[in-house]
Order: sequence, then structure tokens, then C-alpha cells
Amino acid sequence: MKVRVFYKGSLKELEFEKEKVRVSDLLMAMGLSPEYAFVVRGEDILPEGELIKDGEELRVINAISGG
Amino acid sequence: MRKCYKCGQKATVYLPQHRIAFCKEHYIEWYLKRVEETIKEFRMFGKGDRVLVAVSGGKDSLSLWDALYRLGYDADGFYINLGIGEYSKRSQLACEKFANQRGLVLHVFELEKAVASVPALKELENRPACSFCGQLKRYYTNKFAKERGYKVVATGHNLDDETAVLLSNVLSWQMDYLSRQSPVLSEGEGFVRRVKPLVKFSEKENALYAFLAKIEYVEEECPFAEGASSIEHKKLLSLLEEKSPGTKLRFYMDFLRRMRPMLKAEQVALRPCSLCGEPTTGEVCSVCRLKERVAKASLSSSPSS
Repeated sequence: MKVRVFYKGSLKELEFEKEKVRVSDLLMAMGLSPEYAFVVRGEDILPEGELIKDGEELRVINAISGG
Repeated sequence: MRKCYKCGQKATVYLPQHRIAFCKEHYIEWYLKRVEETIKEFRMFGKGDRVLVAVSGGKDSLSLWDALYRLGYDADGFYINLGIGEYSKRSQLACEKFANQRGLVLHVFELEKAVASVPALKELENRPACSFCGQLKRYYTNKFAKERGYKVVATGHNLDDETAVLLSNVLSWQMDYLSRQSPVLSEGEGFVRRVKPLVKFSEKENALYAFLAKIEYVEEECPFAEGASSIEHKKLLSLLEEKSPGTKLRFYMDFLRRMRPMLKAEQVALRPCSLCGEPTTGEVCSVCRLKERVAKASLSSSPSS
């Protein structure tokens, strides 16, 4: 299945081999931890166990900043 | 499905370190209450004090300004344009939009006019940009606050910033830095009081507040912060936090309660800089010395007549 992810101002597409993909899988695939990142669908913040739908567009917010 | 601790409706946010879940409305309420409690706990400032909020356009400083505005504090914004191309343009725009939407006062200071842009300074300085950038921001924020009669400067430093610095200082046993690490730096000797009302919030908690409160902030990272050691320290601490929620808050708060009172700050004699009058340990302050290097470099690069 494919997911389109809006992350830090740009859109990228991620492909997963398995059919059931959860928010935690998406974060892991992006090398992010739920300790400092979260996933948004429209105006809703998704829990880590939420299933992602094939082809949907999500926003990922990474809270870590440096400097 | 987790339920909101306050109203029992479907929860939007779960905070493992507090073992508590909230809906959108009650998360915002919890956040504001905790900001107010932190301000009171550390005696940062009162409702009648004029506060200057140092804003960058990011989630932390804009969340702080929004919270102070909602809580009824007298808080104006101060943005320093660092001259970092599109990044600075977008950051300034985010701050201006934020202030306009709420009818708040935003002061804009251009570093390029006062000294030079950060990219130009990076060409001159043989140290990380974050080092001189932080120094310049502290200098000009303090100077501006004094000149305009602000009693306090508030910054958006969060729990992750503070624990990353704490870890770094502990790893190299920087006793003097450790003795000065505090959510409140008192006024005096040419310095305005500096406070950090978000020290008890993780970066994620601030990002959640910014998202739920519909604050339009700049998500993109400063291009000069890439590879900063603070990010690596934050990631290391997040591994511990994942395994044992509450570790960061405990590490920081127990440092303040148990360790810091045992440390003695080294007494440093300050005097006014002979060029600008700002407090310094030497004859000429570090910002004036930097300005001298900029002037020298521009002279040597200008074509001879």
C-alpha cells in the first residue's frame, strides 16, 4: 500500500509491502519516534495504533529542533 | 479508545509521562494552566510586568506568546531577522501574521543592518553558527528590552532543550555552566531578567499545542542547525523517555531541586564594554569584537581605489 506524507513542507510517497499499516509503522519507516513526532489526518491527531488507509494523505509533524 | 481525563469524550492527545489523556479543548486548558503554574512556581513575572517574548517563528516561541496572550499577560514579541534567505523570510512572515491576527505588538530587528547576516558571519567565524547566533540574539534582545523598558525577556526554551544542555554539561562536567542553568536568570549588572516558562513542556507537547491552537508556525529547521549536537542529545534522551516515561522531567526537575543548590556560581566581575556599554568581562564585549572583525573583512575585500 501507498501513503502520501506531507512532511516539513514537502510531499513524499511511502510504499509498504504489508496491507495493515499503523501510525507507529509509518513513523518507524520515517525513522521517527512517537516520543517526539505525531501523525495528523485532516484536523485529527492519530493514535499510534490507528490503521492507515491505502492511498491517503497524512501530515507528519516532527517536534525535535536543534540550535 | 482513550478518553479525556476531564470530560470523558474521545481523547485526542495522550501524555505518557503524566499518564493522562485529553480532548482538544481540555489539552489547551491543561497547557495554559501549566504555563501559568510554571510562571508562578519560579516567580518569573506578574500580570503587571511588561514582557518581551523572543520569537523565532517556530512552535515553541509562538506557543509561548499565544499562551501569555490568552492568560492576560502584557507580552510583546521581538523577532530577529538573521538574514538566512527564504528561511528568515518565512519565519518573519509567520511572526507578523501571528501578531496581526491577535492585534499584538511585534518588534523586528535586522541583524544584517546591525552586524551582518548569519551566512556572512559563518564565512568569517571558525565556530558553529549556533554559537555566535545565540550570543548575538541574547545581546540584542537584552539591549532592546532595556532600551524599551521591558522588565523581563521570555524565551521558548523547552524541556528537551534544557535536558539536552544538562546532559551535555554533565558529560563534560561544566560546573560553571551547570551552576547557571536555571528557568530564571535574575536581572542586574546590565541584564534584564530572562525566563523560560516552557521548561516543563516537551517539544512534542508544544507542537501539539501549536497544532491544536491552530498556530501557523515554521516547521522547517534552520539550515545552520543541521547536525547540531543538541539534536543528537535530544534523540538519546528520547530513547530513555520511550522506555521510561517521565525521565526527562525528573532529570531536569531533580537537578534544579537537589543538585543546583549545591553548586556555587563562579563570581565574575562585569564592567561596561568600552565601545557599546553593554556588560562584559573584558575591555570590549564579544559582539563589538565580532563587529570589528566584520569591518576588517569588508575593508580587505573592498576594491582598492
